[in-house]
Amino acid sequence: MGAVLEVKDMGIRFGGLVALDGVNIDVPEWEIVGLIGPNGAGKTTLFNCVMGLYQPNNGTVQYRGRDISLLPTHRKVALGIGRTWQNIGLVRELSVLENLLLAQHPRIRYGALAAIFGSPSTFLEERRLRANAMEVLDFLGLAHLADSKLDGLPYGTLKLIEIGTVLATDPDVVLLDEPSSGMGPDEAHAFGERLIRLRQELNLTVLMIEHHVPLVTEVCDYVYVLNFGKVLTHGKPKEVQRHPEVIAAYLGGDVEADTSEEPADATS
Amino acid sequence: MSAGAETLQAPVATPDASGRWRPSTQGWVARGLVATILVGLLLLWILPSKNLAADRISNAVIFAIIGLSLNIVMGYTGQVSLGHHAFVGIGAFASAYYVTEKAHCTEASCSMPAFFTGVFIAIAIGAISAGILGLIALRIKGLYLALITLTYGFVAVNSIFEIQFLTRGGSGMPAPRPEEFASDRSYMFLCIAILGLLLFIDWRLVSSKVGRAILAVKHSESVAATYAVNVTNYKVFAFMLSGAFAGLAGALFAHRRTIVVGVDFTFQIALLWVLMVVVGGLGKRLGVVIGSMFFALFPFLVTKIGPLDHFIRNTMERDPDEFTLVMGPLLALLTLVQFKGGIAEQISPITRWLSGQRFSMHPEGHKPKEPGGLKKKLRGKENTGSATAANAAASSASSPSGNPDTSGAGAEPAAESSGSIEAKLRKGVK
Amino acid sequence: MRTGIVTGVLAALIAIVLLAGQNVESGPNPFVVVGIVNGAVFGLVALGLVIVYKGTRVFNFAQAEFGTIAAYLLFVSLEKWDLPYAAGVVVALVLTVVLGLGMERIFIRPLLNAPRVTLLVGTIAMSLLAIGLEILIFKIEPENLRPIISSAKANGDPAGLKIFDSIVSPQSLLTIGVLVALGIILAYFFSRTDLGLAVLATSQDAFATRVVGIGVERMSMFIWGSAAFFGAVAGILFVPTIGLLVPGVMTSNVLIPAFAGAVLGGMTSLPGAFVGGIVIGLVQALAAWAGGHYTFGVDQAGVPEIIGSIIPGIEQVTVLLVLLVVLLARPQGLLGRET
Repeated sequence: MGAVLEVKDMGIRFGGLVALDGVNIDVPEWEIVGLIGPNGAGKTTLFNCVMGLYQPNNGTVQYRGRDISLLPTHRKVALGIGRTWQNIGLVRELSVLENLLLAQHPRIRYGALAAIFGSPSTFLEERRLRANAMEVLDFLGLAHLADSKLDGLPYGTLKLIEIGTVLATDPDVVLLDEPSSGMGPDEAHAFGERLIRLRQELNLTVLMIEHHVPLVTEVCDYVYVLNFGKVLTHGKPKEVQRHPEVIAAYLGGDVEADTSEEPADATS
Repeated sequence: MSAGAETLQAPVATPDASGRWRPSTQGWVARGLVATILVGLLLLWILPSKNLAADRISNAVIFAIIGLSLNIVMGYTGQVSLGHHAFVGIGAFASAYYVTEKAHCTEASCSMPAFFTGVFIAIAIGAISAGILGLIALRIKGLYLALITLTYGFVAVNSIFEIQFLTRGGSGMPAPRPEEFASDRSYMFLCIAILGLLLFIDWRLVSSKVGRAILAVKHSESVAATYAVNVTNYKVFAFMLSGAFAGLAGALFAHRRTIVVGVDFTFQIALLWVLMVVVGGLGKRLGVVIGSMFFALFPFLVTKIGPLDHFIRNTMERDPDEFTLVMGPLLALLTLVQFKGGIAEQISPITRWLSGQRFSMHPEGHKPKEPGGLKKKLRGKENTGSATAANAAASSASSPSGNPDTSGAGAEPAAESSGSIEAKLRKGVK
Repeated sequence: MRTGIVTGVLAALIAIVLLAGQNVESGPNPFVVVGIVNGAVFGLVALGLVIVYKGTRVFNFAQAEFGTIAAYLLFVSLEKWDLPYAAGVVVALVLTVVLGLGMERIFIRPLLNAPRVTLLVGTIAMSLLAIGLEILIFKIEPENLRPIISSAKANGDPAGLKIFDSIVSPQSLLTIGVLVALGIILAYFFSRTDLGLAVLATSQDAFATRVVGIGVERMSMFIWGSAAFFGAVAGILFVPTIGLLVPGVMTSNVLIPAFAGAVLGGMTSLPGAFVGGIVIGLVQALAAWAGGHYTFGVDQAGVPEIIGSIIPGIEQVTVLLVLLVVLLARPQGLLGRET
C-alpha cells in the first residue's frame, strides 16, 4: 500500500533557527495520521512547507509517487491536497455560503472573462456550485447559516465550516491543523467520530496536527511526534503514548498551552 | 451524521432554521413598486436634460465609472491607488491621439468606428498600464504600494502628459465626437449605457469565482492559495480590470470635453477620487456610484441653492468648483471617524430590503439573537472599523515585500475571526 | 546596520565626486549644491514622515502640506500683518504645530486603532483639505514669499558662499544648517531622553506601552505636533528658495522625494531619513542636470536632442525608479533594520 503523501528529509531554517530538520513522514492511503509535539516543534511549519507556503531549504514532498515539491500552493490544492488552518482559514469578507463557493474554485468550469461578461454558462455553473455548497452545509447541519456573515459565529461553528470548505475543495488527502482547538472534550469526541465517518464516506486520507490526546488515541492510525524540528518517534498511538521520551518532551509538559501560537509562525 | 452535527453545532437560535427567509408575493410587489418609483424619479430627472445639464450628468457618470474602477482596487483587492489620474489620463490621451492623429478625425467629421476604436485602445492601454502596477503589487503592498501609485501619478503628470506628439503640450489634443454623439444629450445616454454595462460587469465579477477569489486574496494570500486560487493571476487581473475601467472613463472624459489637456489630471483629483470612493462605501458598487456622482455634481448642486450661490460667487468671489476640494475631504473624514461604511452603509436598510431581505436598521441585516452579548458587542465594534479599509492591506502594510510567509501563514486569520479577547487586543495594537 | 550606513554614505560620496568632476560648464547653481540644498529639505520632511511612521505605523501624506500651511502663515504675517521676519517665523511655527495638534485630536485619535489603510486615507483627506482651504483662502494665483536673509547684497551682488564657482544663497546654507542641527537634536532625543525612548516604545507595541502606563494619546499628540513642526520648518525654508507660493506647493514638490528619502533610509531610521533625503536630492539634481546637458540622437531637423526633451519630467522618473529599486531589492532600505 503506497503512501499518498510522502515527506522526505524536510528541513527549513529561519535565520539561525532550525525549524525543521530531516523530517520524514509517510501518510498511507486511507489512514488518519496524527502529528503531535510540543509548541514550537514545527508542526504548522511542516504543513506550510508541504503546501508550498514556505520554501524549505531541503527535502521533497511526493504525492502518489509524484514529486510536487516545486508546485505552487494553488496547484497542489487543485491536485487534491486540502488544508485547514490552526486559526480558521475562512474569508470573513464572504458569507458562509460564499466561502463554500470559493472552496470549489479549482472545479469551476467557466473562465474569468466569461464570468465578468455574464455568459449564460456561468449562471448555470453557479447554480450547480450553490447546490453542492448547500449539500455540504446540510451534511454538517449548518444549512440555516448559509447567508450569515462569519463575524459573530461561535468558534466551534467556524471550525466546522472550515472543515466544510476543505471538503468542498474535493480533496484526496487533507491536512488538518488542530481541528479540535476551541472545542470542549465532548465536542472533540463528537468531532473524532465525525472524522472517522468522513473518512469512510469520502475516502479521505488525513494528516492531522492535534493536541487533544484522547482524540489522537481515538482516531489516529499512526502518530508522528515532532520535537525541536525533528521526528522524535513514530508508531501506533498506544506505543507512542508509552514512549518515555515522548512523555518527557510532550505529555509531561504543559498540555494546556495548546491555544497559543506556534513560535515557528512568529519568526516569519 | 446528524448526532454529531447537533453536538458540534453551536447553540444558535434560528427561528427560520428550515431555510432562508424570502418575502411573500405582496412583499415582492411592494419592493417592485418602490424600485420602480425610485428609478422613475431618476429618469424624470435625467431624461429631459439638455446641453449643460446633460454635460454635467455625463461628467457625473464618468466619475461613477472612475469610482467603480477605484473600487476594484480599493474595495476588492484592498490596496490603495493614489495615482488613478495616470490611468484615466493615459486613456484620455490614447483615445484622443488615435482619433485625431491616426483616424484623422476633425470636429466636423468623426466616424463611429474611429471613435469606438479609440475607446477600445484607451481600454487596452489602461488595462496594460494598470497591469504593470498589478505586477508591482505582487511584491509591494499596503502603504508602500500607495506611495508607488502616488509617485507613478506624478510621473504621469510630469512626464507622460508632457510628451509632445501624444499630448501636444499645453494646447491639448483634440478629441472629437462622432456625429451620432455630437449633442451633449446623446453623449449623456452613451455614458449612462456604458455605466450600466460596467455595473453589470461589476455585479458578475462579485457574484462569480473571480470576485470571490479576489476577496480571498485580499483577506489572506495564503488562505486564498489553499482554496486553489492563483494569487498572481487574480491580483493582476483585478488591477487590469480596474485599469480598463479607468482607461474607458478617460476616453469618455476626453470626448466629453472634445479636447484633452494634461492639467485636467492632477494629483488633487486622484486623491479626491479616492475619497469619493471611501465616502460612497468601499466594496459597495451602489454606494460608490452615488458617492462619485455626488462629488461630481456637488458644485452644480451648490449653485442650485440661491443664497449660497450668491454668497460664493459674489461675496467670496470663488468658483463653486473650489468647494469640492474642501467638502470632499471633510465628508471623507466624517465617514472615517463617524459614519463607517459610507453612503452604502447608510442606505443599506433600503437596498437590503429591495433585494428581498427583511427590513432591518441593523448594519449587518436581520439576524437572529445570539448568546454572548458582550462578545458580540466587541466584535461588532471591531468589524465596523474594518469596513473602510482592507484587512489584508493593513496587516501587510508594515512589510513592503509581503511574501506569503509574512502575510498570513498560521497566525493571521486568528486575529480576524477567533474572537478571543487576546486576539482582540493583539489586533487592536497591530 | 553598519554596512547600511557605509553603503549610504559611499553612494552619496560617489554621487558628489562624480557630479563635481563632470561639472565642466558650471552654471550659476551646480547640481551638487542644488542637490544638497533640496536634499536637506527632503530630509527635513522625511524626518517628520519617519517620526509619524515610528509612532503610528502610518504614512503621513499630509506631512508636506504642513510646510505649505506654515509658508502661507508666514506670508500673511509678513505681508498682511507687517510682522518682523523672526516674529513671522515664530507665528507660523506655533500656529502650524497647533493646527497639527488639532488635526491629531479631531481626525487621528479616533482612528488610532483603525486599520493602517484607514489612517492612510485619513491623512490623504487631511492633505487635500489643507490644499482646498489654501485655494479657497488665497486663490490659485502664486504669491511671493521672501527669504529670511536677502539673496542680494545692498549693492545688488548676490550674497552667500562661493562653492564650485557658484553662489550658495544664505537661505540654502541655513537650510542645511537647520537640518544638521535638528538631526543631532533628534538623535540625542531618541537615544537619551525618557520621552524619546517612550515614543520608540509606543511604536513597538502600543498595548504594552499602555500597560506600563505611558499614555498612547499623549504620545500621538507629541508625534503629530513634532511632525507638524518639521513640516513647517521645511516649508518656511524651502518655499522662499523657489519663490512661488501656491496651494499644495510642498506636496507637489517635496512630498514624494521626501518619501523616497525616508524609504531609502528604511522608513524607521532618523539618520536614514537624513541621508536618504540628501541622496534623493543629489540623484534628482543629477538627473535634471544630465537631462539638460546630455544629448541622445537627433531630431527631425538634425539638431541633437537633449535627454530632457525626450524624457520630460526626468527627475520624477528617476525618483520613481529609485523607489521601485529600493522597495523591490532591499525593502528595509539602506539604513533600516530587518523586522
